[in-house]
Amino acid sequence: MFYRRAGIRHTSYETDSRVLPIPFERRLLGLLVVLALTAPAWLPDLYFSGYLLPWIIWSAAALSLNVLMGWAGQVHLGFASVMAVGAYASVHLVRAGVPFVLALVGAGLAAALVGSIFGVPAVRVKGLYLAVSTLALQYVVDWVLVHVPAISGGAQATLQVPAPHLLGWELASDSARYYLAFAWCSAVALFTLNMRRTALGRAFVAVREKDYAAEVIGVNTYRYKALAFWISSFLGGVTGAVLAFAYYRVVTPEQFSLDVSIQVAAMVITGGLHSVVGSYFGAGFVLLAPIFLDRFLRAGATLLDVAVPSTTLAQLPLVLYGGLIVGFLLIEPLGLAKVYDNVRNYFLVWPFGYARKSGLGR
Amino acid sequence: MKRAFIVVLALALVGTAGSPAPAQDKVIKFGFPADFTKVYTFITEEWIQGSVDYLQYVNLKGGVGGYKLEWLITDHGNEPQRGIEAYERFKREGATIFDLVSTPVSRAVLPRALKDNMIVVMPFHGRSDVADGSVFTHFFSLGANYWSQAAAITKYTLDQEGGNLKGKKLALVHIDSPFGKEPIPVFEELSKRLGFELGLFPYPSPGNEQSATWTQVRRFRPDWTILWGAGVGQPVSIREAIRNGMNLERVISVIWVAEKDMQVVGAQQARGLLRFEAAIPGRDTAIVRGILSEVYQKAGKGHGKIENVGTTYYVIGINAVAPVVEGIRIAREKFGEPVTTEKIRQAMETLRDFDEGGLIAPITLTPKDHEGGGFGRISQWDGTKWVPKSGWFNAYREIVWDLVKKSAEEFQRSGK
Repeated sequence: MFYRRAGIRHTSYETDSRVLPIPFERRLLGLLVVLALTAPAWLPDLYFSGYLLPWIIWSAAALSLNVLMGWAGQVHLGFASVMAVGAYASVHLVRAGVPFVLALVGAGLAAALVGSIFGVPAVRVKGLYLAVSTLALQYVVDWVLVHVPAISGGAQATLQVPAPHLLGWELASDSARYYLAFAWCSAVALFTLNMRRTALGRAFVAVREKDYAAEVIGVNTYRYKALAFWISSFLGGVTGAVLAFAYYRVVTPEQFSLDVSIQVAAMVITGGLHSVVGSYFGAGFVLLAPIFLDRFLRAGATLLDVAVPSTTLAQLPLVLYGGLIVGFLLIEPLGLAKVYDNVRNYFLVWPFGYARKSGLGR
Repeated sequence: MKRAFIVVLALALVGTAGSPAPAQDKVIKFGFPADFTKVYTFITEEWIQGSVDYLQYVNLKGGVGGYKLEWLITDHGNEPQRGIEAYERFKREGATIFDLVSTPVSRAVLPRALKDNMIVVMPFHGRSDVADGSVFTHFFSLGANYWSQAAAITKYTLDQEGGNLKGKKLALVHIDSPFGKEPIPVFEELSKRLGFELGLFPYPSPGNEQSATWTQVRRFRPDWTILWGAGVGQPVSIREAIRNGMNLERVISVIWVAEKDMQVVGAQQARGLLRFEAAIPGRDTAIVRGILSEVYQKAGKGHGKIENVGTTYYVIGINAVAPVVEGIRIAREKFGEPVTTEKIRQAMETLRDFDEGGLIAPITLTPKDHEGGGFGRISQWDGTKWVPKSGWFNAYREIVWDLVKKSAEEFQRSGK
């Protein structure tokens, strides 16, 4: 119907290798970009600064981790610590007088350095063993943050984030900060979308599917595993910096705790591994579902005028949220991205359902 | 699948559309985004119940000069991003007074609340340096911060030792987190001044495993042991102290230990333990009696289980809001209507020895001092209840204020 494409009809290499091969999706994306760019004008203040802004930043975080987990197939359970390194590095750099843009690069480099060091075990160990060794990164960074006041900001362990300046402009308003976050999120999305089409991306996928098979066909697995950690940590570091500057405005160790690492990993998994659109869905789900469930239940209790104790009312959303996660994973183990994929695949060949063909890019 | 997804989406939309109660005149709203589900679960239920019951009590008695008090509550799960969302939402729903019941969230919301001139109370949590009212104009500690508690606890040991701590040993057994490390500068300064030997014994967060730490404490042979933890770590600390043969009458805890912890340890086994307290638990105080009869028995509008009324954290919940309500009362009388946050702040800064009918340690606020004097007392567990061992007192104010000033200045300087 919308997609108007019964089957795959590529007639040249150019159309086959476009970032988004389906015209309808290009138009849909264009519409979404326009909506996002004009969001400060039409979206109510609260939804804009309280939901949309963190959502796109967390989407960038999920995308960054997805490069590592989804594309290169390396588990990482300490991603928040990588973001912490980026956040703290950028804040300290800006405070030391380094221009904001350079501080972002510095944040990326610092995070990439730390992230790669802890990525080294990846060349030796796999799966659960790797997961545990990445946990070590989380604990080491947490420990350093708590024990080095020079980094974490004195006795109160809070570091004020100065207002970011871009080309002489102070990004003071929420919308200015939003555009900063949006620009970064788009950059990461473009990068990951393009990665599929490059030798780098194909090497990652080869490593993910079977590393010694990749070695056999000439992919240097050591190099690409290390590279995956480097790239993902770089992106994560900058995302951490953007999170600090555009959203939190103050950094504390708790903002990058183990819980946050688990959340980012959950975003990637519920969203869908190696899926760009899935990272957005996953981030939205993990970040916003608990908030909306909480609001929904409270509004319901007020509407029906039932007196439910605050504690019970606070626990209920957790139960529902857990149920939702289990439900989603039962019905669609490949994540929210697959839900979209199913819808698309249906419409792609509609009304010729028998000609169903999937796997038309992601 | 698709249908289920749409249903969920629709329900979520309905939920967000049904925001409650349009704003009326003569209403002052409190916002309580709190951690009901993660780290602060050990206090939140009773704390919020205390705050809300108190507000309800004031309402039932006719409000504050015609002003009705309302409250908004939500769970933020100790996550800064959810705390920020809740703060922004409540702000738009008209809340002007906030208690965020979580240190990480208080810290994360701070730059926004500072800009919005919201009244934020941080009794016994959040940043200690909000005591400096010249920097944190609309933030109030409303109770002895951790530095004041450290000073007071040391003073108590000094008095017990007959005014001389020279050659004595104090062990600080603390959780290895910013909260646990916060009092260290006070103890170090006092150790220099009073000549006692200070031993620092950190245990890893969250504190459910401390046996290695306590072996070292035993070897140190302290004269006094000070527990600096909260939540799950506290009963573990007390149990380890007992197991290592410490005399509990020489073990003093920071404010975070309550009846529940005593039940976990064993009410009889924990006899003798000392703690710092700033509000009187139990049901003998006028306010708590009033709440019991008016809110629970007559109106039946209690905000939770009746058993919770009068517990340690319940009265701290009252401590968190009572000075603000008093501020609203004064603001209305002195500066007239409409009552704004600016007027409430100025009114609160005129509070002198406010103790809410003998329920809390006296609070004296000034434009400079938003802590209130840092008063508290030491009480002891006798197997069934907490028995006061001293009157309200404070100590070594200059040390506390040096730290407050230094930290607040650093905050001001770095926020540029």
